[in-house]
Amino acid sequence: MDAQLNRRAMLQRCGLGAGALGLYSLLQDERLLGAPVADPLTARLPHFAAKAKAVIWIFVNGGQSQVDTWDYKPELAKRNGQALEGFDRFTGFFSNSVGGLMKSPFEFAQHGQCGKWVSSIFPNLAKHVDKMAFIHSLHTESNNHSPALFMMNCGLPRMGYPCVGSWVTYGLGSASRNLPAFVVMSDPRGRGLPKGHATNWGAGFLPSVFQGTHLRPQGEPIDNLKRPVEMTVAQQRAQLDLMADLNRLHLARNPGESELAARIESFELAYRMQSAAPEALAIEQESEATKKLYGLDQKHCAHFSAQCLIARRLVERGTRFVQIYSGGMDNQLSWDGHSDIAGNHTGFAQETDQPVAALLQDLDQRGMLKDTLVVWAGEFGRLPVAQKGDKPGRDHNPHAMSAWLAGGGVKGGVSHGATDEIGHKAAVDRVHVNDFHATLLHLLGMEHEKLTYRHSGRDFRLTDVGGKVIRPIVT
Amino acid sequence: MISSRHLFFTAVTALSCVVHAAVPPQHAQDMAKGLALFKSDVRAALTQHCLKCHGGEKVKGGLDLTTREGLLKGGEEGVVIVSGQSKASRLYKSITHATKPAMPDKSPKLPDALIAKIAQWIDYGAPYDKPLMEKGATPAPREISEADRQFWSFQPLKKVSPPKVRDTKWPRNDIDRFVLAKLEEKQLAPNALAERPTLLRRVYLDLIGLPPTPEEIEAFVNDKSPDAFAKVVDTLLASPHYGERWARHWLDIARFAESHGFEQDYDRPHAYHYRDFVIKALNADMPYDQFVKWQVAGDELAPGNPLALMATGFLGAGVFPTQLTEKEFESARYDELDDMAGTLGTAMLGLTIGCARCHDHKFDPIPVRDYYRLISTFSTTIRSEIELDLASDTQAAAMVEWERKRRALDEQLAKFEAAQLPARFDVWAKKSPAELSALFQWLILDEAEAKSLEGSTFTRQPDGSLLLGGKNPDHDRWVFKTGALQGALTAVRVEALADESLKKKGPGRADNGNFSLTDFRVFAQPADGSKPRVPVKLARPRATFEQNNGGLSVASSIDGDPRATGWAVDPQFGKNHAALFEFDEPLNMPGGVVLTLEMDFFTNTRHAIGRPRVAVTTAPAPAPLAGAAQLQSIFTLMKAAKDLRVLRLTDAQRLALQAMNHPLDAAWKALCKELEAHQAAKPKPALTKVQATSEGVKPMKHHADDRGFPHFYKESYFLKRGDANQKGEVATSSFLQVLMRGGKTEKSWQSAPPAGAHTSHRRAALAGWMADTEHGAGHLLARVIVNRLWQHHFGRGLVATPSDFGAQGEKPTHPELLDFLASELIKNGWRLKPLHKLMVMSAAYQQDAKFDTAKAAKDPMNTLVWRRTPQRLEAEAIRDSVLAVSGRLDRTMFGPGTLDQESKRRSIYFFIKRSKLVPTMQLFDAPEPLVGQGARPATVIAPQALLFMNSPQVRAAAKELAATLQKNAGVHGTTVPSAYMTALGRAPAKDELAKAVAFVQAQVAAYQTAGRAEAAQLALADFCQVLFGLNEFIYIE
Repeated sequence: MDAQLNRRAMLQRCGLGAGALGLYSLLQDERLLGAPVADPLTARLPHFAAKAKAVIWIFVNGGQSQVDTWDYKPELAKRNGQALEGFDRFTGFFSNSVGGLMKSPFEFAQHGQCGKWVSSIFPNLAKHVDKMAFIHSLHTESNNHSPALFMMNCGLPRMGYPCVGSWVTYGLGSASRNLPAFVVMSDPRGRGLPKGHATNWGAGFLPSVFQGTHLRPQGEPIDNLKRPVEMTVAQQRAQLDLMADLNRLHLARNPGESELAARIESFELAYRMQSAAPEALAIEQESEATKKLYGLDQKHCAHFSAQCLIARRLVERGTRFVQIYSGGMDNQLSWDGHSDIAGNHTGFAQETDQPVAALLQDLDQRGMLKDTLVVWAGEFGRLPVAQKGDKPGRDHNPHAMSAWLAGGGVKGGVSHGATDEIGHKAAVDRVHVNDFHATLLHLLGMEHEKLTYRHSGRDFRLTDVGGKVIRPIVT
Repeated sequence: MISSRHLFFTAVTALSCVVHAAVPPQHAQDMAKGLALFKSDVRAALTQHCLKCHGGEKVKGGLDLTTREGLLKGGEEGVVIVSGQSKASRLYKSITHATKPAMPDKSPKLPDALIAKIAQWIDYGAPYDKPLMEKGATPAPREISEADRQFWSFQPLKKVSPPKVRDTKWPRNDIDRFVLAKLEEKQLAPNALAERPTLLRRVYLDLIGLPPTPEEIEAFVNDKSPDAFAKVVDTLLASPHYGERWARHWLDIARFAESHGFEQDYDRPHAYHYRDFVIKALNADMPYDQFVKWQVAGDELAPGNPLALMATGFLGAGVFPTQLTEKEFESARYDELDDMAGTLGTAMLGLTIGCARCHDHKFDPIPVRDYYRLISTFSTTIRSEIELDLASDTQAAAMVEWERKRRALDEQLAKFEAAQLPARFDVWAKKSPAELSALFQWLILDEAEAKSLEGSTFTRQPDGSLLLGGKNPDHDRWVFKTGALQGALTAVRVEALADESLKKKGPGRADNGNFSLTDFRVFAQPADGSKPRVPVKLARPRATFEQNNGGLSVASSIDGDPRATGWAVDPQFGKNHAALFEFDEPLNMPGGVVLTLEMDFFTNTRHAIGRPRVAVTTAPAPAPLAGAAQLQSIFTLMKAAKDLRVLRLTDAQRLALQAMNHPLDAAWKALCKELEAHQAAKPKPALTKVQATSEGVKPMKHHADDRGFPHFYKESYFLKRGDANQKGEVATSSFLQVLMRGGKTEKSWQSAPPAGAHTSHRRAALAGWMADTEHGAGHLLARVIVNRLWQHHFGRGLVATPSDFGAQGEKPTHPELLDFLASELIKNGWRLKPLHKLMVMSAAYQQDAKFDTAKAAKDPMNTLVWRRTPQRLEAEAIRDSVLAVSGRLDRTMFGPGTLDQESKRRSIYFFIKRSKLVPTMQLFDAPEPLVGQGARPATVIAPQALLFMNSPQVRAAAKELAATLQKNAGVHGTTVPSAYMTALGRAPAKDELAKAVAFVQAQVAAYQTAGRAEAAQLALADFCQVLFGLNEFIYIE
């Protein structure tokens, strides 16, 4: 082998073919950080054939109530108003407002071939239950938003760890050379970021290139995409040509520095991104029928429709991981229905029901659903007992939440695990967040125990020291 | 023994009574109260004082206190408590020393307050919420073996001398001999020395993070003296920018940020002092051992030094979830302790101590026991904000000067008072009272007789006011009656004065400091009593402030509503107020008039004035609210003095009169004014809030306080698998056994805190151990820092894992050189600057970057240093270089940072908010400040290129550079070479120049075609922007 073909050079030269060699391992150690690394977002092959190539995660921010959405509990209605014996009042956030058991304010009906019971607040999503694999026994480790958000995103209820999207792009790189590999969208209605802010899509100790690109809800969605105003395309092109010329002269004097060549290439990529990124976000190019399908004409959900459409367009163009947060920061401005659970959940269901249903249908029609994994999950569930107030709500519940997956290698119309008869705690086939993550990685073709990064003397994983793939929901 | 046996029988009998008795009705409440006591005090007491012998390491006398069952069961000698009856319980008797054996054994008696709490707890039924410890949660002591200590990084530094080399010409200092010896082993020859401009650019960016200016390059290139480079190095090391450059490296390791992180990510507005400490310490070349020790225990080691307190910001720089539920309190605190110990481990000792939190470290000899003993060092250490005088030296000097001047002014006044004032007084005293009274506008009625109908008391004050005391009745009516008053009275004034003794300093007696004068009435009667008293009609009321202009206005005090409305002053509390009521007609009675003033306080309960003062005036309307005033008693005295002649006054009378005269003496007044002005200008210590980390101080407030977060727990426990719900015994402070040598234990470094200390001095002991080169961790401490220096100068550490010197880390490429450098550091008194100089003066450092295929075949990663590996600048240095080259850099040092990307200060002064990291910094691999980072990646991604192409800041810098170049074109000739020199530190090669000139011409033409007037300038800006985007601009050879 040519002596110049050191580790860095290899990484760079192998380009798209690098995946075959499992080359992401070259990056997986902070001891190599001193050495420059050529484009770390180069696409790489997974450990084994992947069922899903991309993920769109609808983050049900604030914590949806399982018993009012997907986890039908007739027993809860029967015991409506009764005290819950032995209940630990410190389970939720407001220990002094614990009420009695409270039945769901919503009607449930059966849908699809699988006969899934679904709350009336999801009339459109209910039509797609045969595409979904429900997990009812998911549970987490914190009763507090930001630690629980970190748990759901990063696998630990603490700050400082890479999130799922970062791990996935670290493992697989990006299929698109012109677009960010990992994109996050937050509430565009001025209700704020999810609690814990950008840490939810941070790369933790992984190189920061793996962090999520947050599309700014207002103003320019991505930094530095627009050419300086006084310049024409041709003028900037001339500028880049000169830069490339001069850089090549420099490279000729420094033949050993592979990253210099990579950097010349990065300007070409950047040049293409200038047009590729706005094009990917240009939902106005969609047909009227598609716009209508997503509900862009509906005031109550247009913002989320746009985000779901952007998600599809990004995935179509090679983006690996998209996360859309439903709702913003403070109580009641998200699914965090401490008071008036009926009003709160009705409102947020209206914002998401049609757009997400449309996303499933659209992906399906385009043949994309088979390798795009759609995730519906938040940071925790809510309690079967009421949080007292004029209009009762529900407090946080780390012991049980419901989530569903659809597409990319997931069985449709199945339900995994169960809560107790009132939906308080995960009881049957309990699924830890680590298991949930292990399953996501599995669907993307990665073994969660092998996706590691050496940091502070330890090989870290998304799944910490746990994680078991939920086999029954995988095709 | 006999007595204790006897007691045992008593106890059993008592217990059986309880067993048979019905459960008392208040049982549930008692148990709840008992549980609260257990959690707050009893658990800690039992764990700390009893558990070791009774359930922990031993179960003496068969008594195991771990669980309530064990407690109730008792020991070999029977039961020890009678639930509900503390006085009959043997446990109580033994801790009160009423019976033997007295407990705790061989230790002082427990404090009475604690004993009382334990007794109360027994009375409540001695409930436990959970066992005192989890069985198996306390790890057994683990011996560190000799083999463990043999690992290279735990060994003491080897005494090494530079090896012999064949090529004796190349080495410039000892470093080179170590490097060359290894190269020669592999038959590798080092590269030639770099060209001067290249070398200069390299050392500038390395040492100060800014490129040299064309003038500096020219000066160096033309300096033919043999020590030309050494002079440059000395200059750079003395530059304040050196500290800014190298502090940034340290801040990565220290996971420094200025917000809490997590949910709200609240700012830590005073955290920047830690950053300033690092810069200052590095600039002052503070010995590294001191630098470390102060960060760990500056508050204990140098409590009087503000810099030492700023240094402690290190421990508290980690993240903290300020929104917590009760269930998270304890685990959050353990996370915080983990962060302190873990960061200290990786940053300073190169050890991944945090790996031993759940189990013994898998690779390094750090038992889980060592981990918990180490973190317990920080048990009571908390983040705090304290006020410090950051300029104490300046302040002291200013005080000396101020004192000197004050003494001079004092003397001047005393001299005047002694030499001139008495004579001036005598002249003045001869004037008539009428003459004198003309000097005043208000006569304070301090001789009036005051009465409260509700029993409040009045104490006369020197200024003629009356301070209210005694009971504070709900409602009150006062009656003031004056003596005979002369002249045509035109108005009366009621003052309500502030006073320290009143709530909110008054001026009212209400809880909030308010009052309400419900009704105010004045009656007049001839002094001779010849006619009955008549009401005086009051008009045109005015006040300094009125609570509103309705029912609480001054007018409402005379509105004929005697019960509800009246003058009040909310929210102007703690201030003097006055209300003036004019007499409808001047009041003048031959022989004088006696006034009766009636004041009612009915509007609100306890709303009387707290310190009233009343006065009358003869000034024609409208009388002023303020104005010179004099006490009626003084005039009485004056009159007496006139009658008795001045010289026959008693001393007291004379003093009283002088007190009245002096304020009227212009010369005396001027002198006093001067003194007062000086008094007011007393230099105040400029107190600055500083975020520090200490013990026994007020915790930094945050959100979780609302729920009662305690900030710390007095004790730390061994935990099973890191779970705060599975506690073992109390862990006491100690350090890593593998780094305690010569049979030493933690006791060798520990000492009792000095008298009056508010900290435990556990951290001082830790710091002592860390820097101890004889028996402690000092040698490792030195190895880790010299490796970091090497890493930043050469691009790769001698140990490639700068924060992991353990078994999982890389082995050193040049172990002898590493030990040599570490020994040099210690020998030089731990000063870093001589070490920097040693490194950059070496031939190894000064090689060129030329790539050589044959050499690379032998050493592809250049671990043996046969050439200079080009280094990509870090985010900060890239941005700072763009600012510097364009002439936009603002060199202001220190102080609060900013989030404004448009800021022109160096990047180290960005405010580091964890949820809003500056995008430009992140783009070029600045780490997220969550855990310490010893090395940054140097990625190449398209968004970085977008920044150089389109960012408004880069574009603005290019334009500014272009403008400067155009302006100086006459001086420097053509602009292109000058742009090269400014941005890249060299002249362009021929082909480069040709391409550049052609580009500029083409862009000019293009802009002209587009009709842009400033075509030339835009074209040149385009070119400058190209220079910023060149690889050469950010990859330093």
